[in-house]
Amino acid sequence: MSSGDIKGFYRQKKKNGGVTKPSSSSSSSKKSKSKHYTGGASVGAPSAAPTPALVTRGGAIDLKEEYGDEEEALRQFDMDMKYGPCIGVGRLERWERAAAMGLHPPPHVREVLVGLASGSTACSSKFKCLWEGLV
Amino acid sequence: MADSEMGEATLERKLAVYRNLDERFVIREEKYKGQQFSHIYFMRLHHMRSQLQSLIPNWKPHLPVNTVLGLEEGKECIIVGTLYKHMKLKPSILDEYSKERSAIPLVKPHNFMSTDDHLILEDESGRVKLAGPMLAPSAFVTGIVIAVHGKETSEGDFFVEDFLEAGLAPQVDRPLDSREDKFVAFVSGLSVGTNAFNPLQFQLLVDHVTGHLGDENEQRISSKIVRLVIAGNSMHISHGFFSGQTVAPKDHAKLTEPIRELDIFLTQLVAALPVDIMPGCNDPANYSLPQQPLHRCLFAGASAYNTFVSCTNPHHFELDNVQFVGTSGQNIDDLYKYSDAKDKIEFMERTLRWRHLAPTAPNTLGCYPYVDKDPFLIESCPHVYFVGNQEKYETRLLQGPDKQLVRLISIPRFCETGVAVMVHKQTPLSLSLKFLPPVSLFLLFYLCSLTLGTWNAMRSVSPQICKCDCGYPMGTALGSSMHTRLCSYFTGDILPLPISAFFFYLGRLFSPDCCNF
Repeated sequence: MSSGDIKGFYRQKKKNGGVTKPSSSSSSSKKSKSKHYTGGASVGAPSAAPTPALVTRGGAIDLKEEYGDEEEALRQFDMDMKYGPCIGVGRLERWERAAAMGLHPPPHVREVLVGLASGSTACSSKFKCLWEGLV
Repeated sequence: MADSEMGEATLERKLAVYRNLDERFVIREEKYKGQQFSHIYFMRLHHMRSQLQSLIPNWKPHLPVNTVLGLEEGKECIIVGTLYKHMKLKPSILDEYSKERSAIPLVKPHNFMSTDDHLILEDESGRVKLAGPMLAPSAFVTGIVIAVHGKETSEGDFFVEDFLEAGLAPQVDRPLDSREDKFVAFVSGLSVGTNAFNPLQFQLLVDHVTGHLGDENEQRISSKIVRLVIAGNSMHISHGFFSGQTVAPKDHAKLTEPIRELDIFLTQLVAALPVDIMPGCNDPANYSLPQQPLHRCLFAGASAYNTFVSCTNPHHFELDNVQFVGTSGQNIDDLYKYSDAKDKIEFMERTLRWRHLAPTAPNTLGCYPYVDKDPFLIESCPHVYFVGNQEKYETRLLQGPDKQLVRLISIPRFCETGVAVMVHKQTPLSLSLKFLPPVSLFLLFYLCSLTLGTWNAMRSVSPQICKCDCGYPMGTALGSSMHTRLCSYFTGDILPLPISAFFFYLGRLFSPDCCNF
């Protein structure tokens, strides 16, 4: 968890004020709003700083820095329709099911998930699919 | 053991090797984590698609198989997917929230079909509306997987030229051994606890099956019955108890009385032969399919015997390597609501051709949201396929293209018709036993036996004396045994007093000089 970035984010929000928004920040917030869909947390942030694309996934604010190649591979596995719907099943369970059906899911996905299982518990959100808690 | 009442020789009941194959219907390790039904549809599509793909080369080998998203206008191809039937009259939960209520009739029709129904084919990539005269929506339901051959039209519909159903599954060869005759008896819809239930009629069935009725010939037939299957709706708990309010102490008896009455009958049955009992829609079991076995604690008396087997609905078992599959009727009743056929047997045939026991689950029929399997898929064609709780007894022998032979049986409700079904295990022959309303039956036999007894007495032929103390002569052994049974009723230990009193006076009417021969 890169807490430094969060503090920076909040600091920027305070600088720009709550109710009254100066025109420069309002234009930048408009720009940032058009760039990123789930708007809530990106109010008042300058367009240059990377703002979170997804909020409250599994309860934690998902920052782009954490969203590395591993998560990218897991999300691609989620979105692949060949292995069936991803909502309502855990990723590992879905992988096992796909393997049992003979669909040959990519083995490195399983390695990532098993590696996470033995690792720290802070990444438990990775076992749930992309849309968990959002749909 | 079926003891002959007259002679010293004891007839032994035939035995058959039984294997219960309900494991795939029992919900054991499945945990509900909030999943929806998309997974069961995915499993169904995947499984059926692999089966259809093995059949397509024999059907139309020269055409390519596309996904729905890969359709090109005007190009002939084959697509495989799940059918969805859009029905205007299908009741939807959203109707309760719609502002205008005039379009929805307040009285629910029994059948929700309308002329506007149309079919849509769906796979993982998308869905497409099916057009053309080849597919009549009245013969199809949501949830079956088929392959269609045709081309996309300019309106975006798929014009169907031909379609392929999976057809009957391959069948394990029926064993050709044994010259012995063995029968399996089926009964359903006993509805103990309703007014329609007639205890005397069911007692007749119990006595016949356990061999307490009839002379040696009758008992020989009963000794060939190796198993009795009760296909659902054995008891009826009044729906007033399901409102969620606490049951008053004075109503406790009404709640438990049907179960206890059924247990008494079942105990007599299981003491004589193996019995399989399946839950139905009115039984105290879960609502969604597959219904789990009725709990042992409901049957305090019968569950003490190892011949008592509580099964799931649908039920799959094997007797001497003959495969039996059947349900308590919910799957066929649901097909009847959403599609059309000339009789219930045709619905059963269709489910076999679609290789799925309950295609409308989970759309309109309650079903457990499985994640990794669809247990209703028919992997191998059964030899006997039965459905309980129907209006009348019907049967047909279905022949498949690969030498499959299935006996389809529709079992009627016993409380309404008094008909039970016996199936010969080997040659798939079935016959129905009708248990006439007891008054007429007893009168009939009483009269015949009375006449014969009188005739014999006049000719000084020694009559067959009834075993009870009244010494009344009966002309036939059957009449004699029935009279014995009736005498035991007179003591009132089986029937409540008013009914036994009725029969006593009825008997007196026809034999005013009882005990006077």
